[in-house]
Amino acid sequence: MPEIKVTPLGAGQDVGRSCILVSIAGKNVMLDCGMHMGYNDDRRFPDFSYITQNGRLTDFLDCVIISHFHLDHCGALPYFSEMVGYDGPIYMTHPTKAICPILLEDYRKITVDKKGETNFFTSQMIKDCMKKVVAVHLHQTVQVDEELEIKAYYAGHVLGAAMFQIKVGCESVVYTGDYNMTPDRHLGAAWIDKCRPDLLISESTYATTIRDSKRCRERDFLKKVHETVERGGKVLIPVFALGRAQELCILLETFWERMNLKAPIYFSTGLTEKANHYYKLFITWTNQKIRKTFVQRNMFEFKHIKAFDRAFADNPGPMVVFATPGMLHAGQSLQIFRKWAGNEKNMVIMPGYCVQGTVGHKILSGQRKLEMEGRQILEVKMQVEYMSFSAHADAKGIMQLIRQAEPRNVLLVHGEAKKMEFLKQKIEQEFHVSCFMPANGETSSILTNPCIPVDIALGLLKREAQPAPRGFIPGAFPPFSPQSFRLVSPEQALKELGLAEHQLRFTCRVHIQDPRKEHETVLRVYNHLRGLLKDYSVQHLPDGSITVESILIQATAHSEDQGTKVLLVSWTYQDEELGSYLTALLKKGLPQST
Amino acid sequence: YRDLHTFELQAPTRIIEWVRGNRVCVAGYRQSDGNEILQLIPPPTLLTKETQGLRPERDFKVECGGFSERPVYSLKYVPDTSLLVTSGPPDSSLQVWQVSAEDSDVIKSVSTIARENGTEQSWAKTATISARAPWVLHGSRLDRVQITEVESGKNVYTAASRGSEELSDLAFLDCNTLLLCCTTGRLCLADIRQSQSLVEAMSVPSVPCSEQWCMGTKHGAQGLEPSSQPVARLSSRGLLTLTDLRKISEHLAFAKARVSSPDSGAEFLCVSWAPALEGYLAISGFDGTVHVYDTQSWDSSGREAEPIFVHKGHAFGGAGDSGDPPLVTVHTWHLQKPRTLLSAASDGSLHVWDWVQPCGKC
Repeated sequence: MPEIKVTPLGAGQDVGRSCILVSIAGKNVMLDCGMHMGYNDDRRFPDFSYITQNGRLTDFLDCVIISHFHLDHCGALPYFSEMVGYDGPIYMTHPTKAICPILLEDYRKITVDKKGETNFFTSQMIKDCMKKVVAVHLHQTVQVDEELEIKAYYAGHVLGAAMFQIKVGCESVVYTGDYNMTPDRHLGAAWIDKCRPDLLISESTYATTIRDSKRCRERDFLKKVHETVERGGKVLIPVFALGRAQELCILLETFWERMNLKAPIYFSTGLTEKANHYYKLFITWTNQKIRKTFVQRNMFEFKHIKAFDRAFADNPGPMVVFATPGMLHAGQSLQIFRKWAGNEKNMVIMPGYCVQGTVGHKILSGQRKLEMEGRQILEVKMQVEYMSFSAHADAKGIMQLIRQAEPRNVLLVHGEAKKMEFLKQKIEQEFHVSCFMPANGETSSILTNPCIPVDIALGLLKREAQPAPRGFIPGAFPPFSPQSFRLVSPEQALKELGLAEHQLRFTCRVHIQDPRKEHETVLRVYNHLRGLLKDYSVQHLPDGSITVESILIQATAHSEDQGTKVLLVSWTYQDEELGSYLTALLKKGLPQST
Repeated sequence: YRDLHTFELQAPTRIIEWVRGNRVCVAGYRQSDGNEILQLIPPPTLLTKETQGLRPERDFKVECGGFSERPVYSLKYVPDTSLLVTSGPPDSSLQVWQVSAEDSDVIKSVSTIARENGTEQSWAKTATISARAPWVLHGSRLDRVQITEVESGKNVYTAASRGSEELSDLAFLDCNTLLLCCTTGRLCLADIRQSQSLVEAMSVPSVPCSEQWCMGTKHGAQGLEPSSQPVARLSSRGLLTLTDLRKISEHLAFAKARVSSPDSGAEFLCVSWAPALEGYLAISGFDGTVHVYDTQSWDSSGREAEPIFVHKGHAFGGAGDSGDPPLVTVHTWHLQKPRTLLSAASDGSLHVWDWVQPCGKC
């Protein structure tokens, strides 16, 4: 039975890194190549030795697909392609291709420079890896080779995130990566057409969560910022250039306008340029509202938000500053942090996940005394807040996606087995499909029922038009061509193959007790058969033989015994059924009366 | 408000039950199949006494779930066990469920407690206690009240019949005393040690228009003398009476809430006492709001009472233009945090809110 095999090398029942191997109709695809953010040693990389012990990965894998730029989906890519070794194509969307190297480089800097690790990829490796990347557009069918094709769909979640459909012949798999079914301020919701894949691989991290509404989070964020500013404190918001920063800016701008607030809001310049640049490139990836706003005016021409200058950090009085990088591990945001950390009136709001080893991570874990360069201790008295606006699909969203795509089977990754039993049942009950939940390293086999399209010769179809459509159509398959099957008549097939048709003819002898002359016996047989076989054409030929359809019956006298006549019943292979039937009938003997 | 969190459930619920002190159960009530019973872990901010602001863990987590073929109109946790009892149309049978969160996240259906005899049946109202054994008190009508042992399904007590009015609520006051409230407002006490006794409370003022009543008893700490807590009765016209069970023949207090009769009648009427605030109660079921009252200033005059606080959140719910405004289906108080309530509405929203005491009181 044809089957699709899926093996999570990371994810499966583990949140932390995503790396999934899929085998479909003889093709092998790797979906995502993530780094586990919680480990400092080799456990952070997926176990690639699982794929092939000795062979080259390039020979084994047909392609690698990366869903989006988050490190737990692409963090191990340079390691995989340059250190383990892979030279085949790597597919991702344009924004992902643009943003990935920046994040990877940032991450590399933290790990190697700050933490002093050695077994890690270099800047050159990141560059070399990105050279192997082929960027794709949404809804563009990309032909990886003659049989394998892929297509990206919008996934929401972050800029450039995509869900991928992988198709070989008529078997297909859809991999969702991380996605979100509710639109937010700057991204739309994931969408896929009714592509009916054999398998849908979906993340289920937030399947068991019922999220606090966005409005509440935003309201609380604004409240915190407002409170700090009201008491004369400064608010630092470290951001990555894209995504949430825009949302928060829009939020603050509206709030400042409404409340008529005077405290200045700054945006560090490097941020503005980069962000502007990316938005111009990838405007189609944001949602309608942003696009409209962008067309009307520049994204960063806010009334209340101005460009930041380093000197401003020392200004007295309240202010809000957005600065990069997002995890407080280097650069401007860290500089500002050091200046403001000692004052308890100030606040820092971390808008997302921070990698272990960064200052961001340390202060979120509660550390209040940090060791800086030159053994200096920094005491953190400012308020530390964390707020996550990251968008993942919850149970309702997963059900919505399944409803949209109509897969035949569902496979869940990124959740804990015990906690996914309920969701599994829910999916199975509502959609009547099988739901799989493999653990890391475990392979799930999903049986598929591929339809093989066959071209059938018109004449053959007409000839066999009477039987039920699903009936067996006798025909032959000419020389196998990889693209398609053809069903033709036997004569045509033989002609194409250059073979001669053999005729098989059977002859059977039936002994009949009849002392009369041969021609009388024949007459008896003829009448008997005509009486019995009313639906068949029974004929008595001038040469003394009888035909039943195309079966020939002749009578001769037995050589030794005059009282016995020998009936020769002869038929071709095609008439086997009728021939056997006749023979059996005649063997029963003739009725006395005729 | 001091705090407001809004959540959206996949399907609206008409029950919010505290289970094992720190879990909350909700369940769907659609007429068709496929209703889910969910046991939720509230976000850590709700479980601790101090509010924490922007902590990452602000979400409810679904700890376990089960599937019910019938709509769940009532769900009660059986104390000191891992069992839940639910009931709902089309008949008065009860469904018993097992929750074993450590092994799997599926709530399994374990057994059914048979329906009452007789033809016309509405769904059974329930109350649970685990004094001598895990018991469930149930019944749809005044003459069909019984207590059944949950695990074995054995009948332990059947109340004497004194009329066939439909029940709106029942409760255990202690392990021997039952309190029954009919939709007509009639309140009855029964002592299960004396099989024929059924003591009646003073009836509510009856008015020609048909209104329906429900009751709220205090879920006090186990040790407190339960019959010292007044029982509140709420009518679909907004009338509220408080009755002291020791002087059951008179009204302790009588007031009117400023609400309009809901179109859905008494379907979602709900009145409950605050477990940690003396004399405070909340009502809902008239529209998209929840009212909180301080009953300490009430007397028997029956005049209109001013709510201390009105939660209007559900009325501003998401959908907006699609048809009727949402109706609050149920509310409940937080067991420890004195001014925190949870409320759910017919649009699937679930709110957790903490109101600020207006100045002048502590």
